[in-house]
Amino acid sequence: MFGFFRLDPITRKRLRRFRGIKRGWYALLILLTATVLSLFANFIANSRAIAVYYEGRLYFPTFVYYDMATFGQEDDWGFDDSEADYRRMREEFAGTGNWVLMPPIPFDPYENDFTYADPPPNPPDSRHLLGTDSQGRDVLARLIYGFRISIFFALSLTLVSQIIGTIIGCLQGYLAATFDILSQRFIEIWSSLPFLYVVILIGTLVTPSFGLLLFVMSLFAWIGITYYMRTETYREKAREYCLAARSMGASPFRIVFKHILPNALTPLVTLTPFQIVAAIFALTALDYLGYGLPAPTPSWGEMIDQALQPANRGYLWLSLSPFAAITITLTLVTLIGESVREAFDPKPYARYR
Amino acid sequence: MPLLEVHDLRTVFHTEAGTVRAVDGVSFSVEPGRILGIVGESGCGKSVSALSVMRLVPDPPGRIAGGRIIWKDRDLLQLPPRQMPSIRGREISMIFQDPMTSLNPVFTVWRHLREVLWKRFGLKGEAARKRAFQALGEVGIPDPESRLAAYPHELSGGMKQRIMIALALLCEPDLLIADEPTTALDVTIQKQILFLMRELQKRTGMAIVLITHNLGVVAETCDDVVVMYAGKVAEEATVHSLFRRPTHPYTKGLLESLPHKGLTREKPLPMIEGTVPSLVDPPTGCRFAPRCFRAEERCTREEPELLTKTVGRKAACHFPLGEDEP
Repeated sequence: MFGFFRLDPITRKRLRRFRGIKRGWYALLILLTATVLSLFANFIANSRAIAVYYEGRLYFPTFVYYDMATFGQEDDWGFDDSEADYRRMREEFAGTGNWVLMPPIPFDPYENDFTYADPPPNPPDSRHLLGTDSQGRDVLARLIYGFRISIFFALSLTLVSQIIGTIIGCLQGYLAATFDILSQRFIEIWSSLPFLYVVILIGTLVTPSFGLLLFVMSLFAWIGITYYMRTETYREKAREYCLAARSMGASPFRIVFKHILPNALTPLVTLTPFQIVAAIFALTALDYLGYGLPAPTPSWGEMIDQALQPANRGYLWLSLSPFAAITITLTLVTLIGESVREAFDPKPYARYR
Repeated sequence: MPLLEVHDLRTVFHTEAGTVRAVDGVSFSVEPGRILGIVGESGCGKSVSALSVMRLVPDPPGRIAGGRIIWKDRDLLQLPPRQMPSIRGREISMIFQDPMTSLNPVFTVWRHLREVLWKRFGLKGEAARKRAFQALGEVGIPDPESRLAAYPHELSGGMKQRIMIALALLCEPDLLIADEPTTALDVTIQKQILFLMRELQKRTGMAIVLITHNLGVVAETCDDVVVMYAGKVAEEATVHSLFRRPTHPYTKGLLESLPHKGLTREKPLPMIEGTVPSLVDPPTGCRFAPRCFRAEERCTREEPELLTKTVGRKAACHFPLGEDEP
């Protein structure tokens, strides 16, 4: 009613400018759509049906196990207690009034689909749009699940490292003096720890998981942020509004996190896309080296690793798809990042000589 | 009984060039309900004195090296730092020289006011909004409704200073320290702001310390005056006696160098010869001696104390004006 909660006009101007930069804006739209869609990957690439109508009852097997007996199926040896085969149902149900709704890609990323007559990897065909890998798993399904893991890993890592980095960087900048000096030396020592060795070491002790990798990478990823937040805070705290806030009795923490932080967010925002790129790349690299997520997990790094095995030479689709996926994703994020930076640039017509 | 008594305050800054004694043994007191002006040229320690009272001297490099600041029977310098925020704002408020940067650029006016209202009075919602309207009305801001939603860069300098004053007054302090509140504003706005401060002072009965280098501002606004020179108090008097008859040669020099009628190319504005001494290594004796037209040998040797010369006025001078001349 008072318009108190409208966005800061400068922020609105930057948003408007960002929308004006078409390549970044469309890259963001595409990436957002892909990210949201990937949340529903279980409905896009799955060997289980989305919905089955059988004998007057509706089933939604996406997250539920049903055995063959439920749908009157049996396997080649006459058993009916293994999981229902939904792909067969369309033919079985023909003319019975029952129906089945399969996902557009009726394979899950772990499923081995091949015949001994035609051993995998199989090239792309109408059954597997991007072919299968050396264990007969659908490449497209693995790409989709790999995308989901990569993007959410990157988002989580960015979020965690930004929170930690911002808190520490702001405190360094604001408290300055002893805390700044000591923590800065600690950061220097800490950042000289070889990240890869730490990951390998931890990987030998426990099986890496999404959470563990996130934790280990966060141990190092926050450092870069502190540099920016520290200088920003140093600069902002010298401005008079901080003195004014103190003169009105605001506590140090209130000044740092309520008054200074909103003024120091620009580098954080402009850095975010590039951090996401770095995080995707780091996870892919770890997976490629075999220190990332454990074996059957669909991941791009693992797919590239497989494609580059000597045994798989000549099966081009194995390497082309993950490479293309990584390239496209990273290009999109970089386009966004570059546009954000441009939108935040106070001198839109500046030329660097 | 004075509201605020500053005794022998010493504030130093440790710089690469050495220790700067920005405030070197300054004493003054503020009576309740009166406006004290602190005048002096740039770098004489006016602002540092004020910041010292609030204990807002940037540390490092600054440090309050000694003295006592008695506020309502308590020595502020002895208080644990953690208790200062409850005095700042609530009991002593401050407004700063540059309204352009004193407001947080990413906050609307309403957010500034809301924060104070919530922290100081626990007000929120409709009650807070009503109080905010009232506060903006008091400092003469037209159309408070649209101003509340404005960001600092959407307001003029005078408007911003009014908002700062509104913020300071919202806390209902007993003492308001105004550090050159009008310096960054143009003359017409200066006059409005000073008038406003006087009005508000009369209405609320608070005391004001007005720091300025503008003697005109002092004459128009203050009740008492402290003249500072090079980190020390040169003279202390009521406004009338100071302007009618300065005791310290420095004050006389200041008053004479005010622009006035009758100046011509042949008879230009008089000025005080020389420059302010370095505060890293101040001259012995009276600090004004090198520039003083009355200085004698004793002045460069002995440091004059701030002594009561006549009733209600003190001066730090061996040869004050008005004693040996009519």
